[in-house]
Amino acid sequence: MKYFAGIDIGSTAIKISIANHDKELIGHKISASGSMFYKYAHETLDALLSELNLTRDNLVYIVATGYGRKIFKEANENISEITANAVGARAAAKDHGEIKTIINIGGQDSKAISLDEEGNVTNFAMNDRCAAGTGKFLDACAMNLEIRVEELGEKHFASTGTPLLINSTCAVFAESEIIGLLGNEHSVEDIVCGVHYSIAKRIVKLVKRVGVKEGIYFDGGPALNIGLVNAIENELSCKIFIPEFPQITTSYGAAIIGIDSYNYENT
Amino acid sequence: MSSQQPHVIETQKEKQNRHKAMEAIKVINTLKEEFKNPIESMNYFYTLFEDVYCHQKSLHDNKVKVGTMCIQIPSEIIYALDAVPIRLCNGFYTDDEIGSDLLPQKACPLVKATVGHFASGNFSDKPNILFSPTTCDQKTKAGATIERFGYKVIDVGYPRTKESEVSRDYWRQSVKQFAVELSKFQGKKLTRSNLQATIKKIGYAQSLYHKLCQYRKENEVTINGNDMFMVTGAFFFDRIDNWIVAVEKLLEECKIRKETNILINAKVSPRIVYTGSPPIFPNYKIPMLIEQSDAIIVADETCSSNRMFNDMIAVDEWNLYGMLDSMSDKYLKACTCPIFTKNDDRIRRVIELVKSYNADGVVYQAFAGCTVYELEQRSVLEAMEKEGIPILYLESDYSPSQGGQLSTRVEAFIESLKIKKRKSKQEKV
Repeated sequence: MKYFAGIDIGSTAIKISIANHDKELIGHKISASGSMFYKYAHETLDALLSELNLTRDNLVYIVATGYGRKIFKEANENISEITANAVGARAAAKDHGEIKTIINIGGQDSKAISLDEEGNVTNFAMNDRCAAGTGKFLDACAMNLEIRVEELGEKHFASTGTPLLINSTCAVFAESEIIGLLGNEHSVEDIVCGVHYSIAKRIVKLVKRVGVKEGIYFDGGPALNIGLVNAIENELSCKIFIPEFPQITTSYGAAIIGIDSYNYENT
Repeated sequence: MSSQQPHVIETQKEKQNRHKAMEAIKVINTLKEEFKNPIESMNYFYTLFEDVYCHQKSLHDNKVKVGTMCIQIPSEIIYALDAVPIRLCNGFYTDDEIGSDLLPQKACPLVKATVGHFASGNFSDKPNILFSPTTCDQKTKAGATIERFGYKVIDVGYPRTKESEVSRDYWRQSVKQFAVELSKFQGKKLTRSNLQATIKKIGYAQSLYHKLCQYRKENEVTINGNDMFMVTGAFFFDRIDNWIVAVEKLLEECKIRKETNILINAKVSPRIVYTGSPPIFPNYKIPMLIEQSDAIIVADETCSSNRMFNDMIAVDEWNLYGMLDSMSDKYLKACTCPIFTKNDDRIRRVIELVKSYNADGVVYQAFAGCTVYELEQRSVLEAMEKEGIPILYLESDYSPSQGGQLSTRVEAFIESLKIKKRKSKQEKV
């Protein structure tokens, strides 16, 4: 049996997916990027392979993607995370209907990608200048509020007041806004809700730049935060689809691209 | 793969209301929390704004609501005909964004927000009929746009010159026609005694405003400018009797604060006269920046505050037509709106405010797109320069993200006034 790996080396996490020749996802693993992502990427790959009772010899094609893709020299190919995300999203949502727009929030950037009927990327917009509206922003806010990132979702739904808007786009300045709100004894829940809406509004602006087309897919780690999902749905006024494993769509897409490349080279 | 979503998505209306609530609460919280020695009786106004804009509370359930598109429609007549005036000039960025899809991008944010408000139809007190005075071009056209959304809008002709007798007669006719239209709509007759009573009531409200302003003339100010904008802004839509009681309480508290020397500013805080496009809740962006930079707004020349209250109706003869004519004169002759061809009155008013309130400088704000204020900028700047009054001219809109650049300019201006103030004191010593 032949296997294909997609390795997505992001700013915050390394995501690896392994697919079989039928493009089925058979395993995945996520680890922190840390300070030496080259080393950690190899370790994670080996750990995943041993979990699946496989060895490196079973892997016939490796595609690297993400911000650290160029340092993974063992890969047969490397592609941008935009293409990989588009391919992965369509595969992950194949039973759900057509995906026309992808929202991706990563550790350091956020993207909106627009697709045509065949799944080709027609347009994309990226917020790449600072941490506004990214996973880091959520991390920083959770840290200020002394809660875990995982708790943000439930706090959002526990909010009873008006969401307290955070006007600063900069994560550093937002911190002082949050401290101010806490100092004035506002509830953590209302602040969390405000943080989510601040990010959601920013994301929706990004999506509007590429055009809102129904069939919206949301991935990246922050998609696990049901509060943020709620805020984005409200701002977009439509349902969005969250895959079962929102963090690994891009690496899954990279693995699928590997299959296509392998087939192309060997037929 | 499946998605887990335990929630329902908001309707368009819920979303717009939430956006407005978020804007409103931000301003209310800042006022409550960021300034020293907050006035307790201001809580009436904070709660009022929160009720109306965060919880969509209706204040005039069983009354006929008359929407006015500008300051020139006499509220006295509306009250006398047993209806409630609601002034619809709007300060919400949420509505401005909705209006931007309907009007040119470069239009005035206040007009866009007003039109956007009607487009969304999210009213806690929906007006039954609208009167639109033909003041500036944009407001004039806004009336026609709003009519297309299915509202009853009646234009009230307003002249663009105020010196001539022809204009005066024309406006007096317009006011009478307005009274006739509303009285037809209401099926009620305007009587001498009703009109006299409402002129007196609004006159009393104006006198309360003037009393409050006395406390701003003092060296140690007891109420800041943003709170004053809240008080006058509440007059747009509040139940007038409640408003009067709340301001009376505010006056009592100001009196006690003066006696016990509770201050809201440092002695070196520069005193500012604010003029230009009106700050309307929750767009207190510039006034807030000024007072957060340790200056204090002691007076203003804007149509959302001072211009509503400054001039009283001077009645010669207390018969119906006598009252209507005197009222018309007040709404035309005393108005310092920049729509008029010549407007030396406005310059005189600003200079007079600077002198009587012992101000250190003037901040002139024009909304980007509010052509008349932009056009009048030069003449006002020159006049202030001649008088040796420092002035800062700022252009802004309703977007929340502009804060950074504006605050640097405002702070630098205020610091320069402070340095000047310290120096002049040293020279005197």
